[in-house]
Amino acid sequence: MIHVKGVIKKFGPVAAVDGVSFHIDEGESIALWGSNGAGKTTLIRCLLGVLRFRGRIVVGDENVKRRGKMARRLIGYVPQELAFHDDTRLGAAMIFFAKLRRVDPARCVELLEQVGLTGHERKRVRDLSGGMKQRLALAVAMLADPPIIILDEPTSNLDAVGRSEVFEMLQVLKRKGKTILFASHRPDEVIGLADRLLVMEKGRLVRDTTPASQWPAAGAVQTMRLVVAGEREESAATLLRDAGHIVHLNGRGLCVLAPHDKKALPIRLLAQAGVDIHDFEILEDFNNEEGAR
Amino acid sequence: MKLQRAIVTFALFVAGATMTPAIAAEYVSTVGAIEKLIESADPGATVRVPAGRYTGNLRITKPIVLEGAGVVTLDGGGEGTVVELLAPDITFRGFTVTGSGAGIDREPAGIRAETGPVTIEDNRIEDALFGIDLREAPNSVIRQNQIRGKDMELGRRGDGIRLWWSHGCVIEDNIVHSTRDMVFWYSEDLMIRRNRVEDSRYGLHFMYSHHTVLSENVLLRNSVGIYLMYSNEITIEGNTLAQNRGASGYGIGLKDCDGIVVRNNSLLANRVGSYIDNSPSSVDSSGVFEGNLIAFNERGMLMTPNTHDVILTGNGFVENEEQVAVHGRGDLTLNTFTRDGRGNFWSNYAGFDADGDGIGDFPYEAASLFESLIAREPNLRLFVHSPAQQAIEFTARAMPAVRPSPKFADTAPLMTPPTVEIVQIQRSHAGLMTVCAICLVGVAVLVLNVMGRSAVLPGPVAALSSEVLV
Amino acid sequence: MTQVGLSSPSLPMCPSAMRTTLAFARRELREALTSRWFLLYTAAFAVLAVATSFMSLAGTGSHGFAGFSRTAAGLLNLVMLVVPLMAMTAGATSVAGERERGTLLYLLAQPVSRLELLLGKFIGLSAALCASLCIGFGLSAGVLAWRAGGAGVGSFLSLVGFTCLLAVVTLSVGLLISVSTRKASVATGVAVFVWLTLVFLSDLGLMAGSLLFKFRVQELFSLAIINPLQAFKMSAILGLNASLDVLGPAGVYASRTFGAALPWMLAGVLAAWGALSFLAAALIFTRRAPV
Repeated sequence: MIHVKGVIKKFGPVAAVDGVSFHIDEGESIALWGSNGAGKTTLIRCLLGVLRFRGRIVVGDENVKRRGKMARRLIGYVPQELAFHDDTRLGAAMIFFAKLRRVDPARCVELLEQVGLTGHERKRVRDLSGGMKQRLALAVAMLADPPIIILDEPTSNLDAVGRSEVFEMLQVLKRKGKTILFASHRPDEVIGLADRLLVMEKGRLVRDTTPASQWPAAGAVQTMRLVVAGEREESAATLLRDAGHIVHLNGRGLCVLAPHDKKALPIRLLAQAGVDIHDFEILEDFNNEEGAR
Repeated sequence: MKLQRAIVTFALFVAGATMTPAIAAEYVSTVGAIEKLIESADPGATVRVPAGRYTGNLRITKPIVLEGAGVVTLDGGGEGTVVELLAPDITFRGFTVTGSGAGIDREPAGIRAETGPVTIEDNRIEDALFGIDLREAPNSVIRQNQIRGKDMELGRRGDGIRLWWSHGCVIEDNIVHSTRDMVFWYSEDLMIRRNRVEDSRYGLHFMYSHHTVLSENVLLRNSVGIYLMYSNEITIEGNTLAQNRGASGYGIGLKDCDGIVVRNNSLLANRVGSYIDNSPSSVDSSGVFEGNLIAFNERGMLMTPNTHDVILTGNGFVENEEQVAVHGRGDLTLNTFTRDGRGNFWSNYAGFDADGDGIGDFPYEAASLFESLIAREPNLRLFVHSPAQQAIEFTARAMPAVRPSPKFADTAPLMTPPTVEIVQIQRSHAGLMTVCAICLVGVAVLVLNVMGRSAVLPGPVAALSSEVLV
Repeated sequence: MTQVGLSSPSLPMCPSAMRTTLAFARRELREALTSRWFLLYTAAFAVLAVATSFMSLAGTGSHGFAGFSRTAAGLLNLVMLVVPLMAMTAGATSVAGERERGTLLYLLAQPVSRLELLLGKFIGLSAALCASLCIGFGLSAGVLAWRAGGAGVGSFLSLVGFTCLLAVVTLSVGLLISVSTRKASVATGVAVFVWLTLVFLSDLGLMAGSLLFKFRVQELFSLAIINPLQAFKMSAILGLNASLDVLGPAGVYASRTFGAALPWMLAGVLAAWGALSFLAAALIFTRRAPV
């Protein structure tokens, strides 16, 4: 469904995406994994044909470079945070995108109901909560019922409730057989949704793997958030990575993966290095939630 | 109802068909027939010429009153002068004169008088090179004639009315269209009033003709309205001179004239309201401009720098692009802009009248940086009407250092313009303009409302879309 | 529900690119209607146009002679000052503003081409600007009809037409600025600078040059009409007077030399500014501009 071959995107001298090649089959669900600045967003923008790049990307049967518009017809895109003219009302925005996609406006009503936004049509975009915005973005992405959904960290700006709402919708889409490509740095999401995992570092694709092999004890891994003093975050992350943990910074502390029976390990490591931990939080384990249902 | 209409239509058709031959059967003859009528009449008698068309060139050699009875057309057939008045005391009245020759060398005219006095009135003169030509015909009267020149370029046309050595004549209520000039050579003590000259070269042109009153004439869309040359002691009063915009485009032009009084005229939208070249020319003479409305001209007055002893008072200078201009470089300080504590109205006067006596409390000083730049470099006129011009004037107001020295000063500027009666010379299009206003606003509202609104959607979305977009 | 399907196939002949473009145009128009700049400019222009009409008729309005020709001069100045500023800032903020807010990326991620987006913006903003101007001119026409007997309807409409053309042309320039800058504030700054240049600096420069170097009349004329505002001014004056001789020797030269071709020449200058600016904007936007 998506063929990427030798894609290079440079901003000035810096290569944000550096010779990436991969292939995604129809119905596959793929996670793009990597820390901030690894090139996930840039790669997604190349896939959408919004950025110019070197190399070759084919979506469906359409070459993104030559027939970007046709390629984008096959893609529903959900950004990190929906950006649309703030004064526009939700309903009007929906109708506008329905027009762009040549979709019967009746479908707007249907989709808004699906994402649970019925009754909010008169709200202005600026007055929507983060979760509502992302649900609106999902609704827009699904307007034309495209075979491919591409999401760029769709939950990173959301609170726990919003996150799980969006996550559930994605799982529905996956069950419907959509091809899904999403960037994330939340292992729980990746484990719950992805068939395969593309790990990016500094613009390069370093591993094409599965969640199971990335985190062998997937069921036993938990994510926790450690809040330390802002200026110590970088050094703390390095320390934990050196110790073999998977760490990423998302602006609200360190998200650290640890075996569920050794959660104190990273805390102890940091304490030994003299880093004060202000707070910590165990993030939900989606597998457990699934199991509970 | 339908039947009725059909009957009426048919009746009209029949009537039209039967009447056409009657029109075609106009009485046609030669001017010989008229000459016979005149021969048989006593001197001083009234001869009435029956309606019809008479071809040839008519010469009248007997003092007589000749009147057209009905529509009497005299057609010169494109040869020579159509009517010649060769005896004094002839009255020529009520004819249509047409078809003079066209070659300028023999100056063929519609009506020519070689002696005076004669009276020429109520005639219509068409397709004649010169309209009415008086040669040494003193004390004549030219009244209520309508003259339309040949449709030729300006320079090859003849004069509408010309006087040559004909003193004491009265020229009144004539309407002259598309000729060269209405011109007066060496003719004194004339009374020229209520004439209307349009689309010609010089509306009223004086050469060496003194002691005359010009009043209440309307001079419209000519190259120049009134042009006086080497003519003294002339009063120009209550005339309307508008849109005279030929190459020089003066409303009133004065060249080497002494003792001119210009009073209560309106000079509107000419290229130059009034042009003054060396008038007065003698040292002890003066010129007076009083109570004129000088408005919307590119230049209200244009004076040569040597101009002196022109007295301007009580005039209204309204929205001329340049109110008073100097032709070349120099100033106008030898002229008087204030007399007996009364100056002129200046629409661009920036002062005020705190004591309410109708006189501005500060002098009006004509000093425009942009105008002085144009005087230095005439090409810069290209930039009038642009914000850059305003910027320059603003700079000059803000920074006295770059302000040019004033061309003149009016120490007692008036706060109100003179009231001058203006002849209605433009048709009113208020209705059309109203329609235009409504259309413009309508189009705007249509664009914003209909295009700016998304299409009404069917089904359950209709509620959504209409609700959303209110 | 059966009639629902009618809305999409009801325009089968309409190519999809055009429909997308129109969708963008309508969105632009709708946004203009709700945006503060549009309302502010519309109100300002309307008030100024009406005030100018009143003032230019003051003192002589009663005898109904002045008619439009005098009002035209006042309106001309107003138009040259306000319209380019209005159109250029509107154009300048449009793309750069969307880029800054991140909405541009989201729009471009839809199945649309960049040209459709730019063209849609151009059309929508043009319609908004022209409608805004028509309101001002319409009110001004009302004043003229009421106070001046409304002579010169033809001249008036020609001024309206040329003003709309000027708005569209300067809007293109604004769009060119917009696609070449990343931030809306920078774009606005550049637009204001270009406006200053076109309205004041270039004319003042030419005047200074003319005084210093004594340009010949044809040199001055050719240099002046490069400026779209001067071309607009001359077009408008031609529409009013049928001749440029009010502009002194250079105007007489132009009228004599080019005669009947002159209006086409001036319209050509304006059209060239508009077309080249839009073309450049389209090239930059489709080839080079990041999101």
